[in-house]
Amino acid sequence: MVSGRFPILELRGLTKRFGELAAVDAVDLDILEGEFFTIVGPSGSGKTTVLRMLAGMESPSSGDILLKGERINDVPANRRPTCMVFQSLALFPHRTVGQNIEFALKIRGDAAASRRARAFELMDLLRLPRSYYKRGVTQISGGERQRVALARAFAYDPQILFFDEPLSAIDYKLRKTLEKELKDIHRETGKTFVYITHSLEEAMVMSDRIGVMRAGRLVQVGTPHEIYTEPRDKFVSEFMGEVNVIDVVADADGLLFAEAFGTRLTAPAHRRGFQKGHLVIRPESLRFLERPEQAENRFEGTLYNEYVLGSRIQYQVRVGEHVFAVERLRQHAFGGRLDDRVLIGWNAVDSILVEE
Amino acid sequence: MPHLDRRAFLKVTAAAAALALPGLASRRALAAREKELNILCWEGYNSAEVLDPFRSAQGATVKAESLTNDPTMINRLRAGETNVWDLINVNNPWAREVMHPEGLIKPLDRARFEPYFEKMLPAFKPPYKWAMSEDGSELLGMAQRFGPYSFVVNTDKVSREMAEDQGWDLWNDRKNDGRYGVQESDDWNVFNLCLISGFDPFVPHTDDQVAKYTETARQVFKGAKLVGDLATMNQSLVAGEIDYYLTGGTYSASPARFDGHPEIRGVTPRSGPMPGGKGGVSWIEITSTVANPQLSPLATQFLEYVQDPEVAHVVAFAEGTFNPVAQMANPKCFELFTKEELDAIQWDSLEEEMARSVEYDIVPDYEKLHDIMTAAKREATGG
Amino acid sequence: MVAAAERSAQPAAATPARPRSSLGFRYSLPVLLLLAVGFIAPLVAVIAFSFVEPRSFDLWSEPTLANYRTIFEQTYYRSFLWSLAFAALTVVVLAVICYPVAYGLARVFGRWSNLVTLLFVLPLFISENVRLYGWVLFLIKGGVLLGGVKALTGIELTSILFTPPMIVFGMVYVYLPFMLFPMTLGLSMVPREVTEAAFDLGASRAQVFREVELPLAMPGIIIGALLTFVLGVGAIVEAKVLGGQSVIPITHDIEIAFTYAQNWPLGAALSVLLMLVVGVLVLIVLKRFDLDRILGRR
Repeated sequence: MVSGRFPILELRGLTKRFGELAAVDAVDLDILEGEFFTIVGPSGSGKTTVLRMLAGMESPSSGDILLKGERINDVPANRRPTCMVFQSLALFPHRTVGQNIEFALKIRGDAAASRRARAFELMDLLRLPRSYYKRGVTQISGGERQRVALARAFAYDPQILFFDEPLSAIDYKLRKTLEKELKDIHRETGKTFVYITHSLEEAMVMSDRIGVMRAGRLVQVGTPHEIYTEPRDKFVSEFMGEVNVIDVVADADGLLFAEAFGTRLTAPAHRRGFQKGHLVIRPESLRFLERPEQAENRFEGTLYNEYVLGSRIQYQVRVGEHVFAVERLRQHAFGGRLDDRVLIGWNAVDSILVEE
Repeated sequence: MPHLDRRAFLKVTAAAAALALPGLASRRALAAREKELNILCWEGYNSAEVLDPFRSAQGATVKAESLTNDPTMINRLRAGETNVWDLINVNNPWAREVMHPEGLIKPLDRARFEPYFEKMLPAFKPPYKWAMSEDGSELLGMAQRFGPYSFVVNTDKVSREMAEDQGWDLWNDRKNDGRYGVQESDDWNVFNLCLISGFDPFVPHTDDQVAKYTETARQVFKGAKLVGDLATMNQSLVAGEIDYYLTGGTYSASPARFDGHPEIRGVTPRSGPMPGGKGGVSWIEITSTVANPQLSPLATQFLEYVQDPEVAHVVAFAEGTFNPVAQMANPKCFELFTKEELDAIQWDSLEEEMARSVEYDIVPDYEKLHDIMTAAKREATGG
Repeated sequence: MVAAAERSAQPAAATPARPRSSLGFRYSLPVLLLLAVGFIAPLVAVIAFSFVEPRSFDLWSEPTLANYRTIFEQTYYRSFLWSLAFAALTVVVLAVICYPVAYGLARVFGRWSNLVTLLFVLPLFISENVRLYGWVLFLIKGGVLLGGVKALTGIELTSILFTPPMIVFGMVYVYLPFMLFPMTLGLSMVPREVTEAAFDLGASRAQVFREVELPLAMPGIIIGALLTFVLGVGAIVEAKVLGGQSVIPITHDIEIAFTYAQNWPLGAALSVLLMLVVGVLVLIVLKRFDLDRILGRR
């Protein structure tokens, strides 16, 4: 949590309707000055529409957007001190690298020399060779284009930068590099970044805070740690990646009852009056047990399959009709063979209880 | 209406190029032509009303192409299309003065065809000058449609009396600028510009006359409200855009008259600079058999077919324009014409108009005069 | 094997020397022959005719420059200028008229685009002549327009038919689709995000138009302009029907030479000159606006 900062952007009941459909439904949110805020959500969750309203490319159906306390609903994009980096990058294909970077400055009426100085400054910052200045933007690589798009956005020193999934179309390795670079640039520039993505992994790497959207609503806002450890509901928890979910109801003595398995489970600390919900256990929190007493909760099942996921290995264990995912680091590979009977389990503190 | 765009132009030149290949042409000529007939004509003979009964009676393939000026048709034959066409239908002087001397057409059997002339209007009594060769020995074609062709007025604006009296001077009075149109009928316009200039078009001209002609051409085109085709002329006359137009007669006025506009009327000047003080020009079509090495036997049959009173009436009122025909002397033919049809072709004044007209002839220095006119037209343009 | 042969067919057309024996060349022979006979032969015939003695029809006579001399000695330059001026004016007027419509088709109308497109395409199924005569009936004295105004207000307006502006009107009317559709295509090729990016970077609507939209849509606009210009230079009916021949465009001079004047060599020489002038102008434009460079492809 970034503390001690004031909100630069305030969204108040922000709503956008396309016909009958509310693409964005009464979103309230404060984005703090200088933070890296990421909105995560599956496609169609309304995250792009929120961003487009913030940038001034879409006007809200109702609600307000405040920039430093002033309502900017009716200020068009070209007069907002904000800038968007598009998924497609939206570079000007008929212009050179230099012309692209200097576009906003030229529009503003800056002199050629000062424009050029600023362009070189940004090219240095983004580690683009100065010799690229006169090249056409279509003649450079994807990663380089990415940096040109960033440089173009930074050129006129906007207060807020919006990013519309600019890394989604890039291969894994380059994406990882650029994610880190982007975070570095955020640190160096100290600007407010508002980023949208459908990949929580990407959000985790870069963001100070994350907002999770679903069906036009903001479901949860928090630091990556908060989102990871305290997902507000099943959707958020599932959105974090592959998780094991067990439907449970409250039972006597603060225990939970899992109907599907006919067992009682030890629950993590939870709200009094809890009735019904889901117990979420991450694959890495599940363990293979040699003896039942090694964990507070356990199931017996069959080792069904295994997958190597880079540095980790995921095992699938069948318990009745259910399949549990268990993950271990590769160097601690599980020795069992397929179709072996295995015991899996977890302690209550390693599980998350979300209410329905 | 001949509408020559670049595509048509390329087609024409392609045809010319193809015909230049002797192999292709001769193979075409060798084909059996018993059941095939190709006619090059003014519009009317190419209409389905005329051709269909003949087609079904003969079981023949009849192709007819219509053009609206004589030199083009004759040049088609000159360019080598004599082995394509069987019949050619053009105005009176061409068969006798050009096509026969150049060997482009074949004479007809006098014994078989001359009797038809006996049944035509008195002016066509055999031997009919325009149907005969220069030496009078050969019959070169058959006559049918004819008419006076000077100019057309809207009698609501200019009375027939006045138009006949003023004659060509209507175009010499600059006060009339903007009141008249010129029909796009270049060869006839050359005649008329000569007549407006005050001399006979059908004789060789002196340099002074050519100078006068050049001046007249310029003035007439400068003063013209519009130049256009027959339909546009009649439309503009009816609508009141213009009051009269140059080059016209029963041929061009008849469609408007038949359409319920009796005020549109072809006028023949009472007098003019031609022999006998005549001021009008008239035309008579002569249809001849082409000097085709493989002439279709249907060619002469078709010539007989159109002499039939009923077919002659159809020819007179075929699509496009309406014209008197020589066969109207035959009561069986005449009685087929309704009063409206006779009004359309100005039957009431036909005889006197023809009497005041000189028959279409070839202008000796046509090319020079035509070039002058084309230039005058171009230079008068652009307002 | 067959696929390889087909692929080699194209270079065979360009460089017939080497792959003469290849299967591809033999396969493409019918098409090449058709092109040669249908396209090149008439062109060669026209060029050859332009060097023939005036008013003769004999291709095999001694070549002469007499026809070209005639053209330069007389006032034919006027017709050339009229044709070029009308075509250029038509292009300019069409560019201005079509841009908003094309913008609408590409960006605004959405699913109504098809209907609007259909409305613009439908008239093409009716002959140009018929449509132009329709305008004559509409505009002629006592016609639909002037007659209607007179009946309603009693005011008798002077007719505007048969004047040079009407020729431009007719050409704009007839050639509109030929500008509209390439332009629409050009505009729809401009990515929406790129214009949004420019706007977001502070550009006004006018700046977005000038700096981004127009240059990126230029290929479509250039193609539309070239198409309408070439068609416009070849226009003849508009001047005849709506213009009442108040102006003689060069095409009309060519028609007169081939018909009433029966001076095919002169007509051919005029045609050759027209092709030359138009060809040179088109090449200049294409050189000035390198379509690939505009699109950033090079």
